[in-house]
Amino acid sequence: MQPGILVDLNRCAGCGSCALACREINELPADAPDDRLSATSWTFIERRGGLSIKRQCMHCLNPACASVCPVGALRKSDEGPVVYNERLCMGCRYCMIACPFGVPRYEWDSTEPRVRKCIMCWEKRIQKGGEPACTSTCPTGALRFGEREELISEAQRRIRDKPEAYVNQVYGLHEAGGTSVLYLSPVPFATIGFPNVHKDTEYPGMTWAILDKLPAALTVGGALLAGVWWLTGRREIMEQVRSGEITMDEAMRRRPPVTGDAADEEVES
Amino acid sequence: MRLPSLLGRLTVWRAVLGALLIAGLYATVIRFGQGLGAATNLSDDYPWGLWIGFDVLVGVGVAAGGFVIAATVHVFRMERYAAIARPALLTAFLGYLMVILAVLFDLGRPMRIWHPLVFWNTRSVMFLIGWCEMLYAIVLAAEFSPLLFEKLGWHKPLKVVRRMMTPLVILGVLLSVTHQSSLGSLYVIAPDKLHPLWYSPMLPVLFLISAVAAGLAMTMFESCMSSRAFGRRLEGGLVRGLGRAVVVTQAVYLVLRANDLIYRGALGYAFEATPEAVLFWGEIGLGSALPMVLLSSRRVRYSNSGLFFASTLTVMGFIVHRLNVAVTGMAGWTGVSYFPSWMEVTVTVFLVALGVACFGLAARYLPVFPKAEEEPLPESLAPRSGKPYDPDRILTRPALLGLWGMLALGAVGVLATDSISASPQAEERGAAARAGAAAPADARHPSAVAQGLEDLTLPPPFRFPASEDSPGPVVFDHADHVDPMDVRCDACHPRLFRFTTPGTPAEGVVNSDRAHDGDLCASCHDGEKAFSAYDDCMLCHQESEG
Repeated sequence: MQPGILVDLNRCAGCGSCALACREINELPADAPDDRLSATSWTFIERRGGLSIKRQCMHCLNPACASVCPVGALRKSDEGPVVYNERLCMGCRYCMIACPFGVPRYEWDSTEPRVRKCIMCWEKRIQKGGEPACTSTCPTGALRFGEREELISEAQRRIRDKPEAYVNQVYGLHEAGGTSVLYLSPVPFATIGFPNVHKDTEYPGMTWAILDKLPAALTVGGALLAGVWWLTGRREIMEQVRSGEITMDEAMRRRPPVTGDAADEEVES
Repeated sequence: MRLPSLLGRLTVWRAVLGALLIAGLYATVIRFGQGLGAATNLSDDYPWGLWIGFDVLVGVGVAAGGFVIAATVHVFRMERYAAIARPALLTAFLGYLMVILAVLFDLGRPMRIWHPLVFWNTRSVMFLIGWCEMLYAIVLAAEFSPLLFEKLGWHKPLKVVRRMMTPLVILGVLLSVTHQSSLGSLYVIAPDKLHPLWYSPMLPVLFLISAVAAGLAMTMFESCMSSRAFGRRLEGGLVRGLGRAVVVTQAVYLVLRANDLIYRGALGYAFEATPEAVLFWGEIGLGSALPMVLLSSRRVRYSNSGLFFASTLTVMGFIVHRLNVAVTGMAGWTGVSYFPSWMEVTVTVFLVALGVACFGLAARYLPVFPKAEEEPLPESLAPRSGKPYDPDRILTRPALLGLWGMLALGAVGVLATDSISASPQAEERGAAARAGAAAPADARHPSAVAQGLEDLTLPPPFRFPASEDSPGPVVFDHADHVDPMDVRCDACHPRLFRFTTPGTPAEGVVNSDRAHDGDLCASCHDGEKAFSAYDDCMLCHQESEG
């Protein structure tokens, strides 16, 4: 079960009811900006290139924001949407750096700020078996909610049926390793502000590749350091043998000498 | 003879510190009383600024001297370096404390700084960094504790800590290496955002090596400064040794950096006429290559001002690198400029001053600096001009010129975010990648509306129940109210009626008065925008059945 939203830019008349419905169901203030994402505006219609483009969280299949969150405040829910637990968040804002789509917003003017973004009406609709407020309000069928796999087939069918009306790309099928929100467009996505993110690459994997090497690196490093400590200690002992201070037999029994201040201390005592 | 001038200096410094203290307290009150937005210039486009870029990245970085010298003394047993191990450890310890303070300023919910201890996401680099920061601060405290115990004359704990020193040092090295490299790993997940001159999957390695260079340089710098401040002789031989280590580290760093740029095909960006390229060459040339060349000269290593200058360059270059990664390297993608607010700057300066003051106090009251004798200058390196050699003359003219140069570069750097965000390259690379900015409402794309309207599906008619004295129920049909060529949901939603529950006003309930007079239906049905609600009852009301 992986719910998704298909946004067909060919069908959007730009009425903006999706953004207004979002504001309503999430109890966001009426004077929230309608021309950008913000802490009080989780989706909006961008007017660009003659098109009306609904912007929102892409709900990645393997989200960077959730992977970087040190306390797990952001996570991919079992139902699919990428959701946020404000009681865990300590406000490091790494999610905002990590998101390849630049989606998460922050309540900068609050003393108890939260990260804000679309959660696909997770508690209010998805968990109750419903569909998000935006898709349920769309009068033109530009937004369609459903099973991601089905939406992909639907999108590909639309491209096949009217190849002259669409560019041959479903944005979100491969982007950032796949997203739950999918777009169809009559013009190339790069020309209307869709980020040229890595395809078929899940962003979390980039850091995990490094983190996975860490345990081995630390073990080897620790052993190496201990080995150097032992060897350098041995060398000091052998020097004592060479200078005739101790015999070889004594040297074999000795443990590596302590270093630094402790060495001075030994001399003193 | 020095005393009067020292006092004079102190009063000036006291005034400066006093002003700083007041400004810092004010900024602190604003930050914690009103939130990040009131105190900083951070924004959704620039979630991380000076406090992360300088206070955290640089603060942790310059502490690297602590683990390098501890390992040199206790693992590699080059025990003559024990003489500078203590100042290096003190720097590292204070650095870590300052970083924790800075993090408290920067976190949106500082009271939750302990959350990573309880709520775990082991796949997060930030989680790892939080743990390393905490654990290494504890290890540093333990490594540093012998000084305190010596001063207090507590022999038992002193003995225990000294016995544990080697495992402690090894643990500290592992934690510190993880911490330093993880700060670079932070940015590995942002390949699209960070400029290709700085982004690299190798960032963890580059961060580690540059931190080692900066940590060593910081220790050199402190030795120079403290020899002046406390009227001591410089531990020349040791500082020269550190200088040689900086040469090697910088060489490794430069080779790796060049390799990485060529391998990723990003070297071309260094030869474009962009602010990023200027910053890149400043950082690489003045901050890495120049000090490396300088320190490889024996004459420079035997000159106090040479050592001071080269180590300062290295630290400055390091600072520019970290700020480039955290701030300027992001400007192209966000397309927005960021310049720290005066409160961000004040808090940063305040924290640095606090660290310096603590260092000074510790150096005064604890056995931080051992007594070292400066060996005489080799004959071949005697000053050419015939002037007597003065180890105290650190701020010579070339050194000052170099410092001003670095300051100028810093100014270019901070001003650069403005021009970077406005440059055409940024537009090409990044502005297109933003979902945030508003674009002007153009004419509609020809295919857009037509196709959308083919599928126009309006909600079903809604029947408002009739009240007692009503001529009949009102049925509202979207089809009669929506122009298919110009769909305007926001004429009624959500100002008058809710989107998500049909037939429900935004506030209160539907009644006859509201529907007929100036509100709800009547806000359009006023006789001007549409026919008046009083024109003809049966235009809206339907015959009651029966």
